[in-house]
Amino acid sequence: MAESQELIYLDYAASTPVDSSVARAMTDLMTADGNYANPSSTHAAGRSSVAHIAHAADQLGRLLNIDPGTLIWTSGATESDNLAILGAARYRRDRGRHLITMRTEHKAVTDPFAELEKQGFDVTWLEPESNGVLDIAKLEAALRQDTQLVSIMHVNNETGVIQDIERIGALCRAQGALFHVDAAQSVGKVPIDLEALPVDLMSMTAHKVYGPKGIGALYVATRPGVHVDPLLFGGGQQRRLRPGTLPAQQIVGFGMAAEVARSRMAADLDQLTALRDQFWSGIRDIPGLLRNGDSEMGFPGILNVSIEDIEGESLLLALEPLCVATGSACNSKSQEPSYVLRALGRSDALAQSAIRFSFGRNTSADEVDIAIGLYRRAVNKLRSLAPGGAT
Amino acid sequence: MRELFAAPEHAGVLDDATRSEIEDQGVRISLYADIRAGVVRALRFQAWGCPHVIAAAEAFCDTYEGRPASEMLEFTATGLMQSLSVPVEKTGRILVLEDAVRSLGSAAGGASSPDD
Repeated sequence: MAESQELIYLDYAASTPVDSSVARAMTDLMTADGNYANPSSTHAAGRSSVAHIAHAADQLGRLLNIDPGTLIWTSGATESDNLAILGAARYRRDRGRHLITMRTEHKAVTDPFAELEKQGFDVTWLEPESNGVLDIAKLEAALRQDTQLVSIMHVNNETGVIQDIERIGALCRAQGALFHVDAAQSVGKVPIDLEALPVDLMSMTAHKVYGPKGIGALYVATRPGVHVDPLLFGGGQQRRLRPGTLPAQQIVGFGMAAEVARSRMAADLDQLTALRDQFWSGIRDIPGLLRNGDSEMGFPGILNVSIEDIEGESLLLALEPLCVATGSACNSKSQEPSYVLRALGRSDALAQSAIRFSFGRNTSADEVDIAIGLYRRAVNKLRSLAPGGAT
Repeated sequence: MRELFAAPEHAGVLDDATRSEIEDQGVRISLYADIRAGVVRALRFQAWGCPHVIAAAEAFCDTYEGRPASEMLEFTATGLMQSLSVPVEKTGRILVLEDAVRSLGSAAGGASSPDD
């Protein structure tokens, strides 16, 4: 990172650097030599801007194997989640008011569900197994005739656990419930074929996949009964589902990021797997270390570990100059133990000691070696500082 | 705070020293004092807690070496709270240090050493 050569960034699940080809595509569009026109304008420059946006939608559409017309541009995954959950629940409220989600979802999902509960909807909160994976039988038992929406994330942002969205979606479809997937951590990182998957709504964001911050999308399947009520009004853009001037340069950036991701996904996954395994091999023998989340059904870019008898905030500070996360980035400023890890059955103390290491394209094997050394040293230091510790 | 946390020069134990131990508010603190002729010659600490607790323990040890042991009875954490910019929600944890220091001061009241 430019600010300090000493920093080692292992927080790619929080955000990624913008790919250089993405930055170029965006810059080209923003300057006076490019096309900065409002895409809603009817003049030639406006129409050109529309063409750039259409090209970006094609790029994202190819990544996900969908008709680009099924995409609604948003400000990011949080807005997409809100639009999907609030919008679908309100659109279908006359058919039923039962909704299902999991305790381990991102706050961008749990908070809209909590809001719907306040508005009289009946929400079933499914608990994960201790490895973070959803037992499909629990979902099967929870589905009802009046269930209108099920929302289960693809890759968990804290643990990296991957849910079987194909089986979950099939169950939802059989029951007539819409299926929403928060795919903020998976789009562009793992293969997703929405033509084949029984998914009705999918939230995504650019900045987790080497695109810019401030742009996301919601996929809305073209299937009878699949629709969302808008949350915003004014202007009528995007079929009145999400009005507002489209940020062409952000969208172009997302499109380019999707194209890059598609071209190198297999290589990325190989690299991440090697880095994750290297890191785990380097720390796994530390006494009291526990891996959070299923080691088999996990995205290789994320490794979450707890450690016995270590205070989490001190561990995080002792790890500097490593840039890592306690819990999710959204939770990191609070000292509350991660609700995701508590749902996996971890004690408050273990959840509070958890560190999420997340790797990316720019992570090197040398950096992982340094990170291994820093983690081991930090643990030894804090244990030696503690009453009864070695001195 | 970061500097004190990163390099706590007074971390450790003292053999045959006056000692206090407290566990409360999710914090564990042990203090060790070598007191001779009523003067604190050396202080050491062990702590389990957040960075502010560790930094505060280090700051206390650094400040009170060479001072009369009786001053520990009047120790308050207010000054450390300010100098270390301790968030208000951590007040309880820093007060554990205050209790540990006063306990050490009480123990030191009856303590003697071969040099006394």
